[in-house]
Amino acid sequence: MHQGYYQSMGAADMAQLQATMQAIELACNSIQMHTNPTAAEATLLSLSQSPRPYQACQFILENSQLPNARFQAAGAIRDAAIREWGFLEPNDRRGLISFCLCFIMKNANSPEGYVLVKVASVAAQLLKRGWLDFTAAEKEAFFHEVEQAVQGSHGLDVQFAGISFLESLVSEFSPSTSTAMGLPREFHEQCRISLEQDYMKAFYCWVQYAAFNVSDRIIGANSEIPEVKVCSAALRLMLQILNWDFRGKNSIENSKRGMDIFYDGMKQENDSLRRSECILVQPGPAWRDVLISSGHVGWLLNFYTALRQKFSCEGYWLDCPLAVSARKLIVQFCSLTGTIFPSDSGEMQRQHLLQMLAGIVQWIEPPDAVSKAIKSGKSESELLDGCRALMSMATVTTPLVFDELLKSLRPYGTITLLSALMCEVIKDLMENRTEEETWSWVARDILLDTWTTLLMQLDASGHKHSLPPEGISAAANLFALIVESELRAASASAFNDEDEYDYLQASIAAMDERLSSYALIARAAVGATIPLLKELFSERIMRLHQGRGTSDPTETLEELYSLLLITGHVLADEGQGETPLVPKEIESHYSNVTEVDKHPVIVLSGSIIRFAEESLDPELRRYFFSPRLMEAVVWFLARWSSTYLMPPGESGENKGGYENYNNTQHLRGQTTNALVSFFGENDQGKAVLDVIIRISLSTLVSYPGEKDLQALTCCQLLHGLVKQKNIICHLVTLDSWRDLATAFTNERVLFSLNAAHQRSLAQTLAVSASGMKTSEASNQYIKSLTSHMTSALVELSSKNDLKAIAQQPDIILLVSCLLERLRGVARASEPRTQKAIYEMGFLVMNPVLIFLQAYKDESVVVYLLLKFVTDWVDGQIIYLEAQETAAVVDFSMRLLQLYSSNNIGKISVSLSNSLRSEADAEKYKDLRALLQLLSNLCSKDLVDFASEPIETYGTNISQVVYTGLHIVTPLITMDLLKYPKLCHSYFSLLSHMLEVYPEIIAQLNVEACSHILGTLDFGLHHQDIEVVDLCLRALRALASHHYKDRGDGKVGLGSHATSYKDADGKFHEGILGQFLRSLLRLLLFEDYSTDLVSSGADALLPLILCEQSVYQNLANELIERQVNQTFRSRLTNAFQSLITSNNLSSTLDRMNYQRFRKNLLSFLIEVRGFLRTV
Amino acid sequence: MSDEEHHFESKADAGASKTFPQQAGTIRKNGYIVIKGRPCKVVEVSTSKTGKHGHAKCHFVAIDIFNGKKLEDIVPSSHNCDVPHVNRTDYQLIDISEDGFVSLLTENGNTKDDLKLPTDENLLNQIKSGFEEGKDLVVSVMSAMGEEQICALKDIGPKN
Repeated sequence: MHQGYYQSMGAADMAQLQATMQAIELACNSIQMHTNPTAAEATLLSLSQSPRPYQACQFILENSQLPNARFQAAGAIRDAAIREWGFLEPNDRRGLISFCLCFIMKNANSPEGYVLVKVASVAAQLLKRGWLDFTAAEKEAFFHEVEQAVQGSHGLDVQFAGISFLESLVSEFSPSTSTAMGLPREFHEQCRISLEQDYMKAFYCWVQYAAFNVSDRIIGANSEIPEVKVCSAALRLMLQILNWDFRGKNSIENSKRGMDIFYDGMKQENDSLRRSECILVQPGPAWRDVLISSGHVGWLLNFYTALRQKFSCEGYWLDCPLAVSARKLIVQFCSLTGTIFPSDSGEMQRQHLLQMLAGIVQWIEPPDAVSKAIKSGKSESELLDGCRALMSMATVTTPLVFDELLKSLRPYGTITLLSALMCEVIKDLMENRTEEETWSWVARDILLDTWTTLLMQLDASGHKHSLPPEGISAAANLFALIVESELRAASASAFNDEDEYDYLQASIAAMDERLSSYALIARAAVGATIPLLKELFSERIMRLHQGRGTSDPTETLEELYSLLLITGHVLADEGQGETPLVPKEIESHYSNVTEVDKHPVIVLSGSIIRFAEESLDPELRRYFFSPRLMEAVVWFLARWSSTYLMPPGESGENKGGYENYNNTQHLRGQTTNALVSFFGENDQGKAVLDVIIRISLSTLVSYPGEKDLQALTCCQLLHGLVKQKNIICHLVTLDSWRDLATAFTNERVLFSLNAAHQRSLAQTLAVSASGMKTSEASNQYIKSLTSHMTSALVELSSKNDLKAIAQQPDIILLVSCLLERLRGVARASEPRTQKAIYEMGFLVMNPVLIFLQAYKDESVVVYLLLKFVTDWVDGQIIYLEAQETAAVVDFSMRLLQLYSSNNIGKISVSLSNSLRSEADAEKYKDLRALLQLLSNLCSKDLVDFASEPIETYGTNISQVVYTGLHIVTPLITMDLLKYPKLCHSYFSLLSHMLEVYPEIIAQLNVEACSHILGTLDFGLHHQDIEVVDLCLRALRALASHHYKDRGDGKVGLGSHATSYKDADGKFHEGILGQFLRSLLRLLLFEDYSTDLVSSGADALLPLILCEQSVYQNLANELIERQVNQTFRSRLTNAFQSLITSNNLSSTLDRMNYQRFRKNLLSFLIEVRGFLRTV
Repeated sequence: MSDEEHHFESKADAGASKTFPQQAGTIRKNGYIVIKGRPCKVVEVSTSKTGKHGHAKCHFVAIDIFNGKKLEDIVPSSHNCDVPHVNRTDYQLIDISEDGFVSLLTENGNTKDDLKLPTDENLLNQIKSGFEEGKDLVVSVMSAMGEEQICALKDIGPKN
């Protein structure tokens, strides 16, 4: 038919087509030979960008001998058709799709699979593009052909081609794998819903039928036959369809609400992902007949079982594509859940899972034999897929149902099998400890996830449920084996040198996750596992003491290190900012133990704390307490103390109020038990706290240069202690805490702490002031804590020879230390200590400026100075009285000016590239700190606790911040704006200012104004969506302010917004006109995310309203440029309806903004296609 | 493990000293350090342990501040390193001689004529063109351990 079509054309046209084909073939060849790739690419691009290239492309597809040329032609059809879709005739649209479909069917036996895949994907994309416009009958017509092919009526090749077309189609319609078409998300969403509703099940049935038909022949054959290819494709497509994110009926109602549906979906996905890695299959009740009642699953399992028999035949093996697809599909069926099962209290789902398990259990049983076979060379894929299947089942059932499943087939439960399987895996791990990822690594991770899934469900369902007794002993056995393996690994690796630091960090994170899973297993069998840990621990300590002085303790140290980590995870949860409670399993299991010395948790904790206390003895410290072991000790104490040490609500004296009291009582039942009160404030709590503080002081003083250990002590242990109100009030009464504060002010050793730890320690000490009884005491405490620092800085800054000595390394170190400490204290600002901290900052205001001058070339110190001021202002500003505010504002402005005068116009160079980029980075950090300072000042206008308005002292925050911006912006070069964080801070500050105080712009002089607006224009073309969005918001604020103000007969933006001719007759356009031009150009011609269209509309509407005539001129300009008459009239209409349709009025209210958003969207869809190319 | 720390107390006349001892653990990125007798700026610090249960050591990667060469060093973090005394002084530029030396005005009114123009293209051009245009230029001279180099330029401009 097409041949005839070409013949009927003139010879001249024919020659033209031949020429195009040759040009494209030449270009493809030269790309492959890499002779002149740019020219070749240009040729290819010109084909896809030329108007209506379809005839030429079709000609190439049908006649070219070069597969690459056919591939490119298909791509060109796609690009051109998507672009021109809006003005293609309906006939042409359909014609292109059926051409593609015919092409793949006709060439189904072609050896160049990739061309077919490309053409199929083009067909799928075009079909989707027109999906919402085609009538049901038109779609039916396309699919009739496909159905015939998939059913196999035109032979195996065509059958395969049909299936792979469906594969492209399904992935095109799935949001995560769809191709961008320049259309709003709603479009994709509607297509998705429509396909799910009307076609998905039919597709599944077609391929199911196809697979069923070829399977008999495959089972009957003795070697690989062509049917295998079709069958694995069919299984793959079934898997793909089951992977579809089904939404069911309610999604249609959701979609009417508009974009929200999308965010809805995202949230769901996140939730299910966090729980486990397995994707739940929830297709809904409509699928029950196909998937469940049709016996489909039985067929699949039997087919795979039959396939297993054939693995010895030629062409079939355990990892052949057909077997892999079949297993994947089986695993996927294990995670079937939701409303597809009727509400018969899970009976049908249980039956389904039982059927699955019966099939799968052959792959993994008996575990020891399977593991042995793998060790002697069998592929591990069946075992791994079996583990994955168990994981899926664990996700869709409750632990009890899960355990019961196997009992109808075997004398033991599924959990026992799980435990046995994992024991085999752990044994293999113990035997071959290699760095590489082996099968047992992978299996361990999957099985651990399975345990986690099961036990987390128990955890969530409250402490009444626990595993069946058989399951508990299985968990206990497994945990014992796990600990054994970890300890063996520890002692084996004790002498490894750890050079790869990065690798270590990564493995610590992974290990933490693993340990949390171990802890869940241990807690499932608390009764056995805690005594076990206690025993192992005492054994190691005894060994340590016995071998003292005679044998190398390193192996034992490493074992203790591991044990501490494991025990910490078992006994306590990580708080993640909250106060963690005693784990429920531990709580409930020991609720009736009243004797303190028989409570296993108390005994275990006690022995660890006593061991830790030994580190205070210098001699023992030298023998046993290596920095690494000490790290584990400190980590353990931090984790343990946040759960067990003086827990809130434990005493009669109640700080949490009545309701809270009831809650905790309820949670704990009668178990205000031995465990909780033993470490409470009325019993051993204070003594233990004292020990912990003394240990902290000793790690800070006695382990110089051990950063990791100091980090743990400062940032985790001490920081964690002062976070708890009930601990703080005891803390400040302890001598050891006073010792720590004294050491902090006086001990020289503590000056050599790392900067961040220095700061954290200062903050911790300052925070503890809130534990004092009166506010006077708190302020006095802060004063005595900080006076040594402030006076040292004041004294140093007033030295005559400051300039000479300032650059000495020891002075630099001292100044940096003191500033870090002040910054730490400043960050601890609280209403109660605010006065003292204000005074601290007030005292050093002058020194700060002096140092800023003295250290102008010492970027490290400059940054510290700026950060200190920023943090101090941040903590203080909202509390300050008017007079204090005036002082702070004045100080900040002097700081800004000084910084600016030191840095503006300065050119530093360095011979080294890395030093140069380092210097840029330093500058960027400085500026970011300055912008933060301005933002902090800004907040005074929003939240203010002062007793009189700050204007009393003539302070006007908005003016101050604009002045600040005026000082800072010249320092921010376009290069510096490439730093994403700086860019964000700058534009958020700018857009905040313009949104809240647009009127100030009118008061700025031309130069200042043009600089600020220049950066705004820069930001408009930034790559980062958020930055563009901020700029659009700023524009909207400016324009709507101007429009409203003018409406009220006021000046608006004044002279900045008016256009005028200067003395030379040169025309200067007002700023709003400029922005209108720039924004329209952006929206019409540039690439941007569709997310920006609504905020673009919000900015465009007020701009158009302000500058009606500029808008008309721009529109006319664009229309004039259009040569094509059809396009011209379309464009004219589009511009007209942009500002008139949907009853758009000339007010700036919510409704009108909404209408305009709709208008702009349809405007862009209508005209962007041809404007961008022609 | 040594519990007693050795502290270096700087004397009153320490201003003359070229280097100062400082505990390796306290030297941070962007600070200075002496490696193989050269004053350097630290661009990377990482810590590791000598064996699992040994002590921490710092690994420094640093750039020679005068010739831009990269140097590395490993020091136990409780030990002391030498830190150079790096000074920067601003001078007003009075003249550029033909043989590539510059003439600078010191604070007390004398001239300093022993410094060469920098080798860096960018800085060199800026100095030359700025000087030819008759701008008031201030150059920063960095000195450490007996060496000196022009390292920065600032245009304080013709005053309006």
